[in-house]
Parts: sequence; structure tokens; C-alpha cells
Amino acid sequence: MDTFKIVVAGVGGQGTLLASRLLADAAISSGMHVKIGETYGMAQRGGPVMGHIQIGGETNNPQIRKGEADVLIGFEPAEAVRRGVTYLKKGGLALINTRKTDPVEVVSGMRLYPELDELFGLLRMVTDDIRLFDATGIAEEAGDPITTNIVMLGSIVESGLLPYSEETIVETLKTGLKPQFLELNMRAYELGKKAYHSL
Amino acid sequence: MSHPVALDEPGKRVVLMGNEAIARGAIEGGITLAASYPGTPSSEIGNTLARVAKKLGFHFEWSANEKVALEVAYGASMLNQRTICPMKHVGVNVALDILNPITLRGVKGGLVVVSTDDPSQHSSRTEQDNRWLGPHNDVPIIEPSNPQEAKEMTIFGLELSEQVKLPVLLRTVTRLSHMRSDVELGEIRDLGRKPEFAWDEFSYRVAGFEKLFRRHPERHGKIDAVQEVFEKTSFNELKLVNDSKFGIIGVGFAITYVKDALESLGVEDKISYMKLSTPHPMPAKLVTKLIESVDTVLIAEEVDPFIELMVTALSKTVNPDLVILGRKDLSFPREGELSQELVEAKIAELTGAHYDDPSRTEIEAAKDDLMFDRMLTMCAGCPHRSSIYALKKAVKTVKGDLMNVVVNGDIGCMGLAHAPPMEFEDTYFAMGSSIGVSQGMQQLGVDTIAWIGDGTFFHAGIPSLQNAVHNGAKIKIVVADNAAVAMTGFQTNPQMGITATGDKVEPIMIEDIARASGVKFVKVVDAYNMKEAEEAFKEMLEFDGVAMVISRRDCAMVAVRQMRPNKPVSYVIDEDVCSGCKLCLSGYGCPALMWNDETMKASIDTTLCMGCDSCAQVCPTKAIHRSDA
Repeated sequence: MDTFKIVVAGVGGQGTLLASRLLADAAISSGMHVKIGETYGMAQRGGPVMGHIQIGGETNNPQIRKGEADVLIGFEPAEAVRRGVTYLKKGGLALINTRKTDPVEVVSGMRLYPELDELFGLLRMVTDDIRLFDATGIAEEAGDPITTNIVMLGSIVESGLLPYSEETIVETLKTGLKPQFLELNMRAYELGKKAYHSL
Repeated sequence: MSHPVALDEPGKRVVLMGNEAIARGAIEGGITLAASYPGTPSSEIGNTLARVAKKLGFHFEWSANEKVALEVAYGASMLNQRTICPMKHVGVNVALDILNPITLRGVKGGLVVVSTDDPSQHSSRTEQDNRWLGPHNDVPIIEPSNPQEAKEMTIFGLELSEQVKLPVLLRTVTRLSHMRSDVELGEIRDLGRKPEFAWDEFSYRVAGFEKLFRRHPERHGKIDAVQEVFEKTSFNELKLVNDSKFGIIGVGFAITYVKDALESLGVEDKISYMKLSTPHPMPAKLVTKLIESVDTVLIAEEVDPFIELMVTALSKTVNPDLVILGRKDLSFPREGELSQELVEAKIAELTGAHYDDPSRTEIEAAKDDLMFDRMLTMCAGCPHRSSIYALKKAVKTVKGDLMNVVVNGDIGCMGLAHAPPMEFEDTYFAMGSSIGVSQGMQQLGVDTIAWIGDGTFFHAGIPSLQNAVHNGAKIKIVVADNAAVAMTGFQTNPQMGITATGDKVEPIMIEDIARASGVKFVKVVDAYNMKEAEEAFKEMLEFDGVAMVISRRDCAMVAVRQMRPNKPVSYVIDEDVCSGCKLCLSGYGCPALMWNDETMKASIDTTLCMGCDSCAQVCPTKAIHRSDA
């Protein structure tokens, strides 16, 4: 099979790395090779985080070549655009959480957060398939905004683009998440799936 | 759920990070002791070992610093035990003082030092290339290219170390340490060796001082023997293509760029190339086979022209007309990581292969115009933020102007004091250096504040503190004590009263060390009580002698974790009272604060706020209060 390539973009603390890992574990369960390249520097202190996931195929380097990602999962609008314009292939799916995380430059009044229309305008030069939703709002509905990553995961599964079955990912969630938080996360997952159809 | 590195299931495939794979390699190789000091991008090696050490029955510790870690590991090696000592690249600078004698005196049990280098400085103050330590110390250097190989080469390193009686330095780069891929597990070995001191190899009393002391000839013999091993190891690969006049050497992780580029350009069967996983000592005979057969060689390596210079020297005798391209000749940039695009474009240029540059230059430029950088900042509720705010107020009162004092900071989260909106830090250099450089300035009459964290103080702050007291330099020291080695992911330090593997021990308090070192003014304050902290800082600044304030409060991330499953009580802003002055945003800048353009008032993101009360103390109109008050 061709390598299936996903770029995950967000901010430290949003659970992007866990989402990448779950997507990779599901690939392994399906008998596919997988590579994840993670760029986070000192991201725990509010910096940008990016994950590159390559499923199947025989590439050696964990970084996806520019313009070749099949899917962009954006946990934060500006971070989604930052990575999407570089890595997403022409016409690829961009699934984006619209909830903003203000950087310190904005909090302290040094500059304004760019207008979302302008930001997404840049991404539209790469793809028409941009799907926006308040994933954090849905996570709050599920019970905790910390499950935003699982809402995003539910949506991307529902897109039908992933190269493995939904059963595999559900099984991965059940074995990969802490049992005491499983119910909460499964609720977030189901709400994420449902949300995809209204995007 | 147990960690996959602890699984005793040979043949099973699991997803491992490069760093976890190194930890697994050490476990499969039969280590009985591991010692480390955390530092990005190395920390996950130690984190992983710490998690499984008790279960698998080996000793793991976060040592006080890298030098101590290597000394502890060497102690085990002299008892014929296998051991691993991971650290970040600049940590090896700290450990170098003991690494050099180890290479001279030799090892008994296999000893692998891991150096995780950081090209492009993702999370470091330098991208120093530690392969130079190879020729500097006669230490063999091995460089894996993926997690599976990182695991196998860790085992190889332990075996090689034992075979030739030298420590082996396994070098990674950030991209490898932090990549994940599926790794096939091997068998966990229990060597069952009794820890016995090898008297005849290390003891002055038994072996004799003279025999042990002048060892350079032995060391040279050993490194030559290593070169013979490297000529034959299957971790190196040479693919010669008939009639190819162009060859490539990909060193360590850089081979991944080379292989992908050759395939992508469709020239994999037309060009000779070599995968070189053992940069020092470079296997000269193997490299000769490649460079004899071509007119031009391109060398892809991270990050200095190390192999490029070795090949240049070698070519003088075997192919004097060879054209050598790489980092030094600027075929690749002299600094920073390589990328798929850089390597592919260069190979295309040299071979005439067709290459489409995938860069969207115009959109990228428009993005850069529009977008912020997202600068690093302290977390919501970080006690360092309230400490700095209080310190600034005290300095203004006592010194008249914030510029009347040089603030020498240090490594760690508190080092972010330079960032807006606090902007109250002038320098930071190396672990613990805040105190030493402050003393040098103070000795010549320039007022300073040494601004240091608790983890950093234990790492390298104690000798410089005692030096300042001894030399009568009246320096002022603020220890931003958040009871955590937070920047690298919450490892332990001696003040925490708990070891890396969870044993309760007697904590060693910073104030006790300071008092025992002769510091006459030592005060401990609560970082969240900004009035109290400010008063203590004022007293410190006015004190005639070395003075220290320890501003203490648990790291906000730790505090929130410890509250679970409960959530912190957040604060709210009373819009009727808020004057819209923005001081909480522009002067304090906690990430939980927001500005509402419609109401022209500040507000608080209750999902981020952890209820520290600091912004309420900053607000001049007292508009901020607990949400349940």
C-alpha cells in the first residue's frame, strides 16, 4: 500500500501526542508499519507541537515531505494553518478545532490573534476540504475539555479515510487509555464521530 | 498497564520512541544499574528506565548531575556489571572530567554513555556535535538511524564495550530520540553476574600504580581494535553500483534522508552509497572501497563536517582527486538539521535527476506575515511568574531602577524570566552558572541577582555558592523553588524526599545547605504570597553579605495533578470593578487571562486558571476573586 500520511498540529498540553500514539498503535494492531515524527521542543511551556504519522509504506525518515500529508488534524486554528500550508497535499482533508489558544504575544497585548478568515484563506489556497468545529466545546459536553483529542480522533475515524477499521481504533482506545477515564473518553469519541456528519 | 519496554515477549512488535528503544536495548543487554540526569531530548530514556527498574530488578537513579551519573555507572562497570548512562549532549560536557579517565583506565562490565544531540537547537542552547569527543578521548562512537537500530546498537555497544574494555558513546539526534516506530522486541538477558570488584584491573594495591597510570598506548591499541570491529559490523552498509562515479555517505540518522531521496528521485540503482553507523573510529577500509570507486562523494551528516574531514584526510592517500561535498564545502548548510528537501535537491542537482521543489514559497511568506511565533511562556499559575513580579517590585524600590542590577538567570523553566511580559533576566548560560558569573561581576562592584531553580541549584549551584561566600562576594541569590525538575518532565532531585524509583528518603533542604555554607541571610517564602516575597527580596537586596531567598511553591502542573480527580477553584473577574487597565495582561501575563474586546474588560479562562490567587494580588482595583467567593 501507499504510505498514509497524517499531520497533527496543536499546542503543548492539548494531548496531540497521545492522539498520534493511538493512531499509530491502531496501525500496528492492523499489521502495518508505522512511523511518528514529533516536533515539540519545550512545548510543555505553551509552544507549538507537531506530529507526523506515516502508516504503511517503507519510508525511512519520520518527517513527512512538504505537500504530501493526506490529512491534517488541527487542534488549534493558527497551529493548523501554520502546518497545513506547508505539509497538506492539494485537496487533502483539514479537520480543525476552532477553539483558539492565545499565545503570550496575544495575552500580553503585543499583537492580535490573526482573523480566522484570513488564516483559513491561506489554507484554502491548498485545499477546499476544510472542516471546522468546536471540538473543545464538544469535549466539554462529554465531560472534560481534556478529551478534545479524543473528539478529534472520533471525527477523523468517521471520515473513513484511515487505512484501518473502526474496530481496531476502538480496541486501541480500550487498551491504551486509563480504565478510570475510559467511559469519559468513549463518550467524547462518540460525540466526535457524530459531529463529523454535520461538518 | 505495564510499559512495553518491560514485556518479556521476544518477537512482539510494539511502538517505541527512539529513547524508549534505547532503554529497551539496555534491558535486553542485561544492565543491572543505570544512572542519568534529565535533559531534552534524552529524558525519556531515564523516565522509561525509572518506571520499570523495580519490576525488572535493576537500580536506576536520577543522579545529582551528569558527572555523578557517569561515576555511579563506572562504579558498577568495575564490578563487572553492564550499565547505561544517558544524558543530553551538553550534559556530556559536565561528565567529560570522568569520561576521559574511564577511557584511559578501561571498563570491565559494558558501559554505554548515551549522548542525545540536538541539531537545530529544538530545546538546547547549542547544537554541539559530540562525535568530536571520539578523537578527543579515544571513545568509540555509534550512531543508529531508527528505533529498532537504536535498540540493537545499545546491545551492540554494551557487548563491544566489554570486548575492547572501553566505554562506548551511543549518539542520537533529536529526530531519532523523539521518533516512534514499530520495534521488534528481543530477549531480556539476565547475565547473573556477581558484583565483584576487578582488583587485578583497577586496584592500585593489587595491580600496581605504575601499571594503571600511563595508559595511552593501551588506549590506542583498543581504539584500533574497535576500528577492525567497525570494518565488519553489519550496522554499516555499502552498496556499490558499477560505473557510478558519484557516491553518497549517510551517517547515522542522516541515512534516512539519503535513502528516501534516492527512492523518491528514482536513482536508487544508479548511485553508490554507504550507510555509516560507526563514525569513530571511521572504518577506513570500508570507506576506501567507496571513495576509490567514485570521482565525487556527498556526505550527509548531523551536524558538523566530522566524517567529511575524516574522508578528506583518507582521500589524500587513496583518491587525491576526489571531490568531497558536504557541510564544510557548503553543499549543505554549515549548521542546523538536514531535511528531506535539502538532501533531495542536492542529489538531484548532482545527478541531473528531476526534482520538483514542494515548497509553497508564496503562501509560506504570507503565513509568516500573518502569524505569531507562539513564544514560550510560563504556565498558568506558575509560581515563578509571581516570584519575578514580586522581585521586580522589590528591585524597583531598593535600587530605584530595574536596570541597576544585572539578573543572571539559569537553566530551567525559571529561565523563561527573559520572555515578555516579565522581561527580567539578562543572561543564562549553563547549569548553575548564574551564581558564578554573578560573583565575578559583584567582585568588581556591579550589583547582580543570581536567579536559579531548585533542580539547577543541586546540579551545579553548590560549589559556586560556597565560592561566593568564601570570597566575600555579597551576591544576592533567588532560588525559584517549585519542588520539581519541571522543564524536563518532573524528575526527582535531592530536596524532594523521594528517589527516581519512588522510595521515600530524607530530603536535603536548600536552606540547610545555604546556612551550612555560611550564608547569613536565608529566607524561605511562599511564591504565591507576593507581599511576603517582595518584603523578603527587599531585605535580601539591602543585606550586607551573601543573601538568599528561596521562593517556594509546587509547580502548577504538579499541583493540578495532585488535586485530581478534583479540579482547582478558578478565579473570576468582576466586570463591574475591572477598570480595563490591562495590568494583569501586559504586566503579569498569565496565559489564563484574556481580553474581551467588546466589554473592554479582562476575563479569565476557567479551564486554564488553577486558582493561585496571584493575579488577584496584582489587580489594582481588586476586581479578581475566587469563583466560589
